[in-house]
Amino acid sequence: MNITTMRLGILFFILCSFFVAKAQHQVTGRITTLPGNEPAIGATVTVKGSNAGTIADFEGKYTITIPDDHSILMFTYTGYAVVEIEAGIRKTIDVMMKESISYLNEVIVTGYGAQKRSDISGSVSTVRSEDIAEKPILRVEQALQGRTAGVQVTQTSGSPGAGLTVRVRGVGTINNSDPLYIVDGMPVENPDYLNPNDIETINVLKDAASSAIYGARGANGVVLITTKGSARNEEGKLSYDAYFGVQRAARLLDLLNAREYAVIQNEAYVAAGQTPLPEFANPDALGEGTDWQEAIFTNAPISSHQLTLTGGKEHSSYALTGNYFSQEGIVGGDKAKFDRITVRLNGNQDLKPWLTVGNNIGFTWFKRDALLENTQYDSPIVRALNIDPVTPIRKADGTYAYSNYSDTDVANPVNAIEQTNDEWRSNRIVGSVYADAKLGKRFSFRSTFSMDQTFALQRIFYPKYDLSNLPLISEAPAAEKRLKNQVAVGNYNWRNLQLENVLTYTNTFNEKHDITLIGGTTALNKRDDASGGANSNLPSNDFKDAYIGNTIDPIASQSSWQTANESSLLSWFAKGNYVYDNTYLLSATFRADGSSRFGKNNRYGYFPSFSAGWVLSHAAFWSVDEISFAKLRASWGRNGNDRIGDYSFTTVVSSGQNYVFGPNETITNGSVALSSANPDLKWETITQTDIGLDLELFDGRINFTGDYYIKKTSDMLYAAPIPLVAGSAAPIQNVATAENRGVELSLDYRNIEHTFHYSIGGNISFIKSEVTGLGTGGEPVYSGTIQSANGKASKTDVGHPLAAFFGFVTDGIFQSQAEVEAAAFQNNGTSPGDIRFKDLNSDGVIDVNDQTYIGNPTPKISFGATGEVEWKGIVLSAFFQGTQGNDIFDNTVRYDFAYVNRPSSVLDRWTGPGTSNTEPHVSLNDPNQNARISDRFVKDGSYVRLKSLQLGYTLPSAWLRKVHIQKFKVYITGQNLLTFTKYKGLDPEIGVIGNNLELGIDRGFYPQPRTVIGGVSVTF
Amino acid sequence: MKKIIYILLVPVVILISSCEKDFLDKAPIVGTTEGNFYRTGDDAMAAVNAAYASLQFQLSPEGHFRWFWGDVMSDDTNKGGSGDNDANALLKLETFQGPTNTGLLESEWGADYEGIYRANVVLEKVPPIQMDEKLKTRILGEARFIRAWNFYQLVTMFGGVPKADHVLAPSEYNMARSSADEIWDLIESDLITAANDMWKRSEYPSADLGRVTRGSAQALLVKAYLWREKWAEAKSMAEEVINSGEYQLVPDYADIFPLYGENNEESIFEIQYMNASGGNWGKNNSNEGSFTNVFTRARGLFAGYGFNIPTQDFIDEFFKEGFEDPRLKSTVFRVGDEMGDRGTFTIEATGGVPYPYYSKKTFDNKSETAPFGDPNPNGGTNDRVIRYADVLLMHAEASYHAGDENGARTSLNLVRVRAQVPEITASGDALLQAIYRERRLELGLEAHRFFDLVRTHRAAQVLGPLGFADGVHNLFPIPQSQIQATNGALSQNPGY
Repeated sequence: MNITTMRLGILFFILCSFFVAKAQHQVTGRITTLPGNEPAIGATVTVKGSNAGTIADFEGKYTITIPDDHSILMFTYTGYAVVEIEAGIRKTIDVMMKESISYLNEVIVTGYGAQKRSDISGSVSTVRSEDIAEKPILRVEQALQGRTAGVQVTQTSGSPGAGLTVRVRGVGTINNSDPLYIVDGMPVENPDYLNPNDIETINVLKDAASSAIYGARGANGVVLITTKGSARNEEGKLSYDAYFGVQRAARLLDLLNAREYAVIQNEAYVAAGQTPLPEFANPDALGEGTDWQEAIFTNAPISSHQLTLTGGKEHSSYALTGNYFSQEGIVGGDKAKFDRITVRLNGNQDLKPWLTVGNNIGFTWFKRDALLENTQYDSPIVRALNIDPVTPIRKADGTYAYSNYSDTDVANPVNAIEQTNDEWRSNRIVGSVYADAKLGKRFSFRSTFSMDQTFALQRIFYPKYDLSNLPLISEAPAAEKRLKNQVAVGNYNWRNLQLENVLTYTNTFNEKHDITLIGGTTALNKRDDASGGANSNLPSNDFKDAYIGNTIDPIASQSSWQTANESSLLSWFAKGNYVYDNTYLLSATFRADGSSRFGKNNRYGYFPSFSAGWVLSHAAFWSVDEISFAKLRASWGRNGNDRIGDYSFTTVVSSGQNYVFGPNETITNGSVALSSANPDLKWETITQTDIGLDLELFDGRINFTGDYYIKKTSDMLYAAPIPLVAGSAAPIQNVATAENRGVELSLDYRNIEHTFHYSIGGNISFIKSEVTGLGTGGEPVYSGTIQSANGKASKTDVGHPLAAFFGFVTDGIFQSQAEVEAAAFQNNGTSPGDIRFKDLNSDGVIDVNDQTYIGNPTPKISFGATGEVEWKGIVLSAFFQGTQGNDIFDNTVRYDFAYVNRPSSVLDRWTGPGTSNTEPHVSLNDPNQNARISDRFVKDGSYVRLKSLQLGYTLPSAWLRKVHIQKFKVYITGQNLLTFTKYKGLDPEIGVIGNNLELGIDRGFYPQPRTVIGGVSVTF
Repeated sequence: MKKIIYILLVPVVILISSCEKDFLDKAPIVGTTEGNFYRTGDDAMAAVNAAYASLQFQLSPEGHFRWFWGDVMSDDTNKGGSGDNDANALLKLETFQGPTNTGLLESEWGADYEGIYRANVVLEKVPPIQMDEKLKTRILGEARFIRAWNFYQLVTMFGGVPKADHVLAPSEYNMARSSADEIWDLIESDLITAANDMWKRSEYPSADLGRVTRGSAQALLVKAYLWREKWAEAKSMAEEVINSGEYQLVPDYADIFPLYGENNEESIFEIQYMNASGGNWGKNNSNEGSFTNVFTRARGLFAGYGFNIPTQDFIDEFFKEGFEDPRLKSTVFRVGDEMGDRGTFTIEATGGVPYPYYSKKTFDNKSETAPFGDPNPNGGTNDRVIRYADVLLMHAEASYHAGDENGARTSLNLVRVRAQVPEITASGDALLQAIYRERRLELGLEAHRFFDLVRTHRAAQVLGPLGFADGVHNLFPIPQSQIQATNGALSQNPGY
């Protein structure tokens, strides 16, 4: 790194010494708007290609000095079309600005550059700050959900601060499929530190031609995030944005009450040939019992305060923001709380006419308290759904009660929440400093040094408690007590450094040939250190005293651990854009990536791409006036996924393979290599072809974009199982393949010509994905452990989607013994009231060979739609989002335990011939295995959700000007107000747990809250 | 402009040529690679300890407890659990409707070969290490024992299996099965070498308590000889153990199985577990606790899963001499018994699961469980694999077949006297049957029964009513997944 830094630094300074200066004269004029002929107060006038600029005054007048007669003046005014005029020798230039709603001239940030939207030949989707503003969102990924075709965002949990799953054009790999996030040019691992209010735009590079410039890291798509800065020559602004709100559960499940529970239990006993429990002899006496969902769900506050200061002079601009955000969880309240403070300073300044320096620096502190969630074993939610309603929350003496019936996992969830203390505190600085040098008219050189540094501390405390009625005997089950407290801490230090140098050449030949050439290098070094320890038997049982040093036990009870990882990436890249007469677009990119993560035999990867576009509407033959813009695009490219682990190519002799020796049972270290090495290990490759069409009708009122793509993954890393006779684990190898095909459409209509403005838009993505190969001898991968069925619900195999549900097919309920005997043999204990499973292979026996694919957790269609109306400052906007064609495996009931509570659908169970053909009878021992993995638990997970609904009012600026306020807005926003779905669980939006092979299994997911906020936004 | 291009190119070329290698070559910072390990005596010890660690495997990833195969498959116990669905595959195997693709058998197969791999690594990597030669020889002996033990489990369960007597290269993964005789030959030769190379139990420092010893190898060799019906060899090898003076019967049978009875003077080969905290479910590579405790404890108040439930037939065996054999009360819990410090055994207290008996030999008190963390995988009870009483009974059996009925009776009666039951005076077949019966009583619930029945050709007679078909269920099926993974290089056992 040091050598690299030094050499590139020297290069930078040499290059900086080129620069050219010229002569100048002054231009004045007045800017007005059309229609209306109002002064365009605050419109910006700049000299194209320089930083010189000014703003129009209250009468729309401006004065600017231009460097020479060939200077082009650019007039910009929000909501109006940009006007460019060559000044010539004129001293006065008056301008009429025409209202514009076209996005064609919008400048889009692309990999290592920027392009006008109309010139782009790849596939890029954009989310703008106005889509993000005034919504109760915590993370940047939430801003992407439903907003862009082809980008599927799934909330993995509704708990504050939990991550989201973002998939660009489907899942290309069974391994890490997260896109690459680039914030202001810096690749960041996890964008959780970003304050969504700081974001100006998010551009998602979807096709390989757009993302291939990111080479070995671009395979899962690239999300380019630009944080808010300020334009030059903009008057200083101070904004305060705040909202407060309350969140609550959107719905609770309908479970049995105590009386119903007792009835069902009694029946289950009788069915198993046993005597019912005496305490359930009179169910009515038990009444309603405990509603455990009510006990754990709570109303929770959410709030945000943001201060934004921006301003720009002719030679500098800055943006300074500060934010405090706080959200509690609807389960656990402050035990699931997220607090964040962010401070950001983005600025830039012309040090010399040819040299601009700048910085984008953000500091984030956040603290997250987390509960166990999304596990079928011991999360508070799954416990609340399963614990019997007979047990009270508390005993008569006020202490928490435990269930006499529940077994092992299903403990008192209210107590479990109270005993949870898991705190993560993170301090993170992500920042870059850069210098931009103009080298003559056509070259520019930019050198950027970036750093992403996280210091985080995790502290977990397991207090001592015992729910026993008789503390001396301590009769409570193991899950309801902990006899020794324990504290565990972890310190994390993650560091990413990047040095990047980019040389850009732009030129226009004969007014028709626009060329941009970009070349650069980047060196990235990542180092992660972590250490931690644990200790037990602390004298205080209070979280605030829970530190390793505070113990009464000898030092020997402490344990400690430490890890360290380092990786480096060294890359060269080049890009060329050619535009002929705004009509023919050509682009090519190339990247070479050397990575320390790749095995010795494959140290470098090479990633090319090509794209072309044809703006039909600029062609001579074009005569359709209604279609003001039409562009055909095609692209092809290749890129890679390097998230393969830092040292996967090598084999590590793992210590900790311990054994116990000696009279005092001393744990003694053992070491062995658990898998073999693979020096051929390399990146996963994705090759993608895309064709697209962009249309703009009626001067921008209607915009349409359509894309079709084929995305093929090869060299997918997969530890293809090797025969167990090897005795060691399979090395991971680049053997598997997959394919995604899809269509993405987006269409919007906007009308802002009259005082009544309205817009409506939508996007929809269709996707089909399947695994096409698992290597030679590659066996299907089974995943998704379902404890209640003692099996796995998901299967990944060639010719099928990832992690598709696999199991038995139900065929109604046996109504009589005759039906049992007539059907294929299921089990010795099968009786009327049990489920009949289909004998798919017709061999007269129901066994593992009668399993088949019973569902697909990946949506076939995902979509989003927005609508907005505005009249005299009153805005009403709505945003819908949803999926279609995905299945959910309902794993919320622990059928492996005889005493758990059930959904009230069990009240419609079979009780005799003709009573039910869907809900089996209840039985304590379930000899027929009615709870086996079958389509009984596969539910349609499609949903449409009113993600947000906002009503806002902006006070007329005429009133506000008197009190020196530019803008004052009040609003109410509702989030997740309505959800239309057939799924009966807490939330149909079921994300990914851990890896891509745990899809769509509802393990009692922490649901997303229904939130209502009231907010205010003031700009001075 | 050309200048700029040159200026840009020069450092790029320098970059490529000079610093790229340092920048991109990254080896693991924490931990060691095979390249820099196996250099010292400590490394050799760590290598053989990792092989020992494989002995502890019980769920890797699915259950393959020794008592699954030795007890549940036999007439001594039933599967138990919360119902038929709880480990249903085990029920299928137990009732001899054996599926060929259960994770249970696959896990057993995988765990055995993982142990063999780890032992093979020791046998390949340790010899070149410069270290104390005496210790090195012993370590190699221990590795051979562990390899032999894993092959012993494989051959008794599956018959002939792939003979992985070295660390396999990927090209060898599709190795076909060797004959059972070839595997037995390897076991015998490994154990003979191991018995020679390892030290006597009394020669090990006390910190090494729990390691396998010369006596362990000799005792396992006796077992191997019995399987092959090499009576004379079995008899003389058993006498080597008996005459070594290293082992003796514990005076009171009841003192063998509690925690304080671990590694006592009767212990010859015992898999070590402790109630270490923090272990996890799943492939328990780094876990020092046993899952047997929680699996075999009663449910409900006793916080177990209630597996390995003794049958009435097994209980009845203890009453066949007209009195209750005193060993019964150390072997099972009956309704009304105190289950240690966990409470009184009633059907209600077990959560209503109607099992009248539970295994007592693997019971642990609440006070003995892991102090914090998940106590479930952290049972501390050692697995008594070979006890001196077993060697005496094997000696009796071998002596009988070798024509020495007196020797047979002497050894048999040593066991009976300790158990405080009358001595046997029978001869001929009645003596042999008495020896067989004594094994059931003395070694009950210690995972011997099913294999004893198969080994002595009595399985069809005893287990036939339960579905056992001779010539089929003497062996378990080769895991179907392994036949597939090797593209059919492995053949299936007959009848499956």
